[in-house]
Amino acid sequence: MQELNVVGKSVRRKDALDKVLGKSQYSGDIKLPGMLHVKVLRSPVAHALLKNIDCRAAESLPGVHAVLTAKDIPESNTHGIIIKDEPVLVMDKIRKIGDPLVVVAAETEEIALRALSLIEVEFEELPAVFDPEEAMKPEAPKVHDGGNIQSIRKIRKGDIEAAFAHADIVVETSYRTQMQEHAYIEPEAGVAYLDGDVVVLRVSTQNPHFDCKEVARNLALPLNKVRIVQAPTGGGFGGKLDISVQIYIALLAIRAKRPVRLVYTREESMLASTKRHPYVIKYKTAADKNGKLMAIDVIVIGDTGAYASYGPGTLTRSAVHATGPYEVPNVRVDAYTVYTNNPTAGACRGFGVPQLAFAHEQQMDMVAQRAGISPIQVRLLNALRPNSQTGTGQVLETGVGFVETIEVAQAKALEVLGRIC
Amino acid sequence: MKKRGVGIGCMWYGIGNTGLPNPAGAFVDWKDDATVSLMVGAADIGQGSNTVLAQIVAEELGVGYEDVLVTSADTGVTPDGGATSASRQTYISGNAAHLAAQEAKKVVLEEAKEMFGVEKNQVIIRDRRVFVKGQEENYKSLEEVIGGCRRKGKMTIGHGWFNPDTTGLDGETGAGSPYDTYAFATQIVEVEVDTETGQVEVLQIIAAHDVGRAINPLQVEGQIEGGSTMGLGLALYEEVKVLDGKIKTPSFATYLIPTSMDVPTMHPLIVEEPAESGPFGAKGVGEPALIPTSAAIANAVFNAVGIRITELPITPEKVLDQLAENQ
Amino acid sequence: MDVPWKKPGAKLPVLEGDKNMSKQTINFMLNSQKVSAQVESDSRLVDFLHEMGLTGTKLGCGEGDCGACTVIIDGQTANSCLVLAPQIDGKEVTTIEGLGSYEQLHPLQEAFIEEGAVQCGFCTPGMLLSAKALLDENSNPKREEIIRSISGNLCRCTGYTKIANAIEKVVRSKS
Repeated sequence: MQELNVVGKSVRRKDALDKVLGKSQYSGDIKLPGMLHVKVLRSPVAHALLKNIDCRAAESLPGVHAVLTAKDIPESNTHGIIIKDEPVLVMDKIRKIGDPLVVVAAETEEIALRALSLIEVEFEELPAVFDPEEAMKPEAPKVHDGGNIQSIRKIRKGDIEAAFAHADIVVETSYRTQMQEHAYIEPEAGVAYLDGDVVVLRVSTQNPHFDCKEVARNLALPLNKVRIVQAPTGGGFGGKLDISVQIYIALLAIRAKRPVRLVYTREESMLASTKRHPYVIKYKTAADKNGKLMAIDVIVIGDTGAYASYGPGTLTRSAVHATGPYEVPNVRVDAYTVYTNNPTAGACRGFGVPQLAFAHEQQMDMVAQRAGISPIQVRLLNALRPNSQTGTGQVLETGVGFVETIEVAQAKALEVLGRIC
Repeated sequence: MKKRGVGIGCMWYGIGNTGLPNPAGAFVDWKDDATVSLMVGAADIGQGSNTVLAQIVAEELGVGYEDVLVTSADTGVTPDGGATSASRQTYISGNAAHLAAQEAKKVVLEEAKEMFGVEKNQVIIRDRRVFVKGQEENYKSLEEVIGGCRRKGKMTIGHGWFNPDTTGLDGETGAGSPYDTYAFATQIVEVEVDTETGQVEVLQIIAAHDVGRAINPLQVEGQIEGGSTMGLGLALYEEVKVLDGKIKTPSFATYLIPTSMDVPTMHPLIVEEPAESGPFGAKGVGEPALIPTSAAIANAVFNAVGIRITELPITPEKVLDQLAENQ
Repeated sequence: MDVPWKKPGAKLPVLEGDKNMSKQTINFMLNSQKVSAQVESDSRLVDFLHEMGLTGTKLGCGEGDCGACTVIIDGQTANSCLVLAPQIDGKEVTTIEGLGSYEQLHPLQEAFIEEGAVQCGFCTPGMLLSAKALLDENSNPKREEIIRSISGNLCRCTGYTKIANAIEKVVRSKS
């Protein structure tokens, strides 16, 4: 490739100097004159009808400036990147532990916490569902009115039945993967204040323009009256793509007419943020006696928890990538996004592909073993190369460096491990 | 007894959202002294997009990296960059920034063409110098040429936006071209399995990633090392334990992520198979770095002790159970 | 109903005006400067530093698990979320603000930048102080000792390798 002047050089990061000096102002470091502190009251139950919230005692606590419930959200009271199925504050139905019920702005964090303790909440608990396969059954408690199967993504290519009928090697395995926490070291945080008639937020986020739309819609403001400025952000990994503090602080800054700040504790961050989808994967592979792939037949069930978040996008990506980086002439994939009363799962580094890789790569090794070839050989035999066709019928003309990655890794393995797979 | 094994994991990853429009925009303001303000919506969450986007613009404009100041992720100032997700910012915002730079550059090239009395395509800008191809010694400074633009009332600003060329997926068959370009990777790991305790230790990770073009090789390595470490956590340690909807592990004392003591020797390897549609050929690497690690570890465990762990994470209990079953 | 904030024995936050609130004066050295301050008896050191405008010390968990709030007290690293402000009376405290400046970076800061040891930056101040405490005590640590010295500092971005490389670079340049 052509040698360039700046591209291809390991120049110093733009933000490195401020970061090593401790000068970067993350959202939780920002202090504004007259700033109030915000706390959120969250549900201790997973599935319930919300009957009543009594905030009177909290409102009369000295130092409390605003106590807001769902009734105080000007419009919509929903958010979500793909489907607007998540309330800003619960109006009538709780769907998970940690669902937000009330937000409080007070002079200090301590007063805000004390105010939360004075709020009386009445629930009527409902039967809940925590297992995605149970949730798919018609008799399961419904998390949302439309049923628990939020969506299905299908891939269909070629003739699966014929391929399996003629296969020399069939490998069938079930896999399960766990719920993973993003575990960015900076918990969610943000400040909001008024600049004339514009509400300005400095916030830890991966998607400021999305935040802007969600804040504006719920506050019934035009988009240009909401300004989202991303503060230096201490990691995200997909967990700061959804709305966290944004709508609460924008609303409270306007209602209290004071700057406000909300910094999640670690526990609140873990409780309220999305997670990596736990998967159930039923994976069946067909190959000929040489180890050449003939077909895959895959069912994926992703537990998206109480709200969709990036769930349908994650399962769609899983379906597309289910073949792995291999040419597979016959493909059947059904990928289900399923609601339960578990913590919400959303985007998490890899978007459903790590789960599938855990499955398809073990399948490949098992095919190799049955065909009597090495793990490297089975991959080279089936690898996507220039002009290969993917499971969705896309022809990859150029930019396919897969085989080179195998060769480079193999050479390094010989060098440092003294052996290859 | 401790037994060693080697395993391989491979992956592919489509850059950008799946079969959906996901554009990003950028503004470039090339100033009188030839320094540049770049305004992009892309949020830098630590992965280093501000740095990479500045490099792309500096390369195109023939200025230094330090000449480019980046303002990012401010809805009052910057155009929408879409989400920092799907490993898309180097590729998509990178293209947008590149296009914005090209638009601003057109004005300067036009002016230089008139100053030198040659065709536009003969003008080269490099190291803040403007010259005719083959006549580098007879150069004008960028300030001089931009000054020429100003005297005629011309501004040297540009905007750009990019949306990858994709098609939606068919609802029944999933057929379509959901991504314009794909990243690829192979990871080979060496593990040591303690057959008494069931403990799996990862000794080395070799991670070869096709990133199209490494705009900043050190940052690419950082993504590979950090991503495979998160993949190591996914493989061996991490699990949000949930009982009846309640998270039982809501702290770093109960939810364990890898520490410095858990990290093996890393061998990040950069493979550059350029994407035709990428800025200078770049694709993306943020997520690919994590994807094959747990698979490679599972295969290495099999290679070491002959057991297939099909449920993540690969805990000592699961290893011991499988070893007992195998006997 | 099991409502956590009403559990028997649940500790309610202490408010201004509550009887058990008390203030005391402490004198200590902060980044080589003498400081005298009034602190609340139950105020955490990390919060006290932030009140003083020193926000370089990061709060990642508040439970002593992540190390983002690491400071050096009398030569030893400590999680400033677990230290009460009155406990630093008479002691010498170093925070990230005391390590270097725009004009003069500490060699560790320089090396962190050069080696690509910084990504999101939230763990960086704590990492740097753990590394400084190590090098103050042992100017020629082995790679294993370097890795152990930062084992109480969680980083989710870098995978630690480049951080260890940066510290090792400083060691090599000194020896």
